[in-house]
Amino acid sequence: MLEIKELATAYGKIEALKGVSLQAKAGEVTCLLGPNGAGKTTLMMTIAGILKPQRGSVTFEGEELVGLSPAEIVGRGLALVPENRLVFPALTVRENLMAGAFSRRDRGAVKADADRMLDRFPRLRERIGQFAGTLSGGEQQMLAVARALMSRPRLLLMDEPSVGLAPKVVAEIFGIVRQLHSEGVSIFLVEQNAHMALKVAQHFFLMEQGKVSFSGTPGQLAEDDVVQRAYLGERRAA
Amino acid sequence: MDAWLQHTLDGLLQAGPYALVGLGLTLGFGTLRRINLAYGASAMLAAYVGAWLHARYHVHPLAVLAVVLAVAVLAGAYVEWLCFPGARGIDRTRSAGTTLGTGTDAREVVALASSFAVWMQLEQLAVALLPHHLNAFPSWASEREWTVLGLGLRPDRLGQLLLALALVLALSRWLQHSRGGLMWRASASQVTAAHLVGVAVPRVQRIAFLATSALAGLAACVVLVVDGQVTPMFGMWMLVKGLVAAMLGGLGSVRGVLGGALVLGLAEAYAQALGGALARDATAWALLMVVLLWRARPGAERRTAHA
Repeated sequence: MLEIKELATAYGKIEALKGVSLQAKAGEVTCLLGPNGAGKTTLMMTIAGILKPQRGSVTFEGEELVGLSPAEIVGRGLALVPENRLVFPALTVRENLMAGAFSRRDRGAVKADADRMLDRFPRLRERIGQFAGTLSGGEQQMLAVARALMSRPRLLLMDEPSVGLAPKVVAEIFGIVRQLHSEGVSIFLVEQNAHMALKVAQHFFLMEQGKVSFSGTPGQLAEDDVVQRAYLGERRAA
Repeated sequence: MDAWLQHTLDGLLQAGPYALVGLGLTLGFGTLRRINLAYGASAMLAAYVGAWLHARYHVHPLAVLAVVLAVAVLAGAYVEWLCFPGARGIDRTRSAGTTLGTGTDAREVVALASSFAVWMQLEQLAVALLPHHLNAFPSWASEREWTVLGLGLRPDRLGQLLLALALVLALSRWLQHSRGGLMWRASASQVTAAHLVGVAVPRVQRIAFLATSALAGLAACVVLVVDGQVTPMFGMWMLVKGLVAAMLGGLGSVRGVLGGALVLGLAEAYAQALGGALARDATAWALLMVVLLWRARPGAERRTAHA
């Protein structure tokens, strides 16, 4: 579904992605793990068209995305839930939802979809007229997910949806990821919380210093010594 | 007592022109988060071209107004191309902090400085076209004055205020209730998120800039047809009065600019009554200084963002 080959992105002379290659399959939750500064957010921003890569390719359902504008990429069926949510703070919850459907032409169905989102996230319905900047972190995360879903994406990109949230809210967010997956939404998830990611993802990649250093199933991930030490905080007995 | 009521009425009426000149500035800042210092000069150049056509070729007043609007938009396009290229969405070759439109960076300083340089350039161009200090502009000034409850009321000044009110309400309604208005507000609220939901941010920002230039041209027309003349001070007048009205109204707020214009108009009217023309002009500068200090106080940005 999504295939990334030898992708390199730099900030001036500093290369943040040094030839990243990975794939995300349709119908799966694919998870990218990695420490701070590994280049995970840079990768997501490059896929979404916000950052321009120096070389490499990003293909989605066989179509090259490099060189397209962010608006064109949304139109192709990808939606990113960015790190730190990035809701529109000065717009209400309803306006944030409607903004998520800017790329759609079937305007008649947009309102019905917004109502469905409010059924899915009842707390957003309670806050419908409130400015998004006044919501709690968990509510903003739900709004960011709902806003992304309003574009009816075929692949949902999620950049560290658990960051900065209380454990109870993190569990709620991962519950939403599981539910979306069960409804057939393909998800490419960036996370540092390996414990939670192991419960939802079918394939893992590990990224360190701008390169992919591991690719495997949850079972293989759990067996990997480096991952054990760095992300699961334990070492299995030999 | 009647004299003070008359000063109050004069101040309220003066809010019309101030709201009109502040509207473009506040919309421009709301969209790009940058002050266009060449705002007044663009309108002044447009007004000078109109005055030149009027004086030299006796062009019909309506055609003069159309030319002023067109030249204001062209001058705005020139300013946007020269001074605000970095503000057009995202610079996808730069580091994340600047790329994602967060924080202050060198491009903001360059935009401010270059718009100042273009201000000077446009003013010189206008003065080269018409070197006299006073230049006739097509005049539709009212020759009579109504008396309402013993107070003098000029219909042309009332017309300016009503036009400002209508424009503010129409723009406000469009921003709140239309898809285009939502795109505009989304781009102003969180530029990276606007990209991510599929807004063609560079196009929205370019249209917004040209729309603010057209508003500047319209404001110039509405003010000058009552004054009947244009001078080299007109660009500076538009920038200062517009800036004070926009900042008093909470820079970026369309309805706020009307409130800011009312405060400025009333403050100036009372100052003039007490201390003459010098006190009136000093009041505008003093208000600008107070607003700048108020906005620069610690924590002000956070509070504004939640307002």
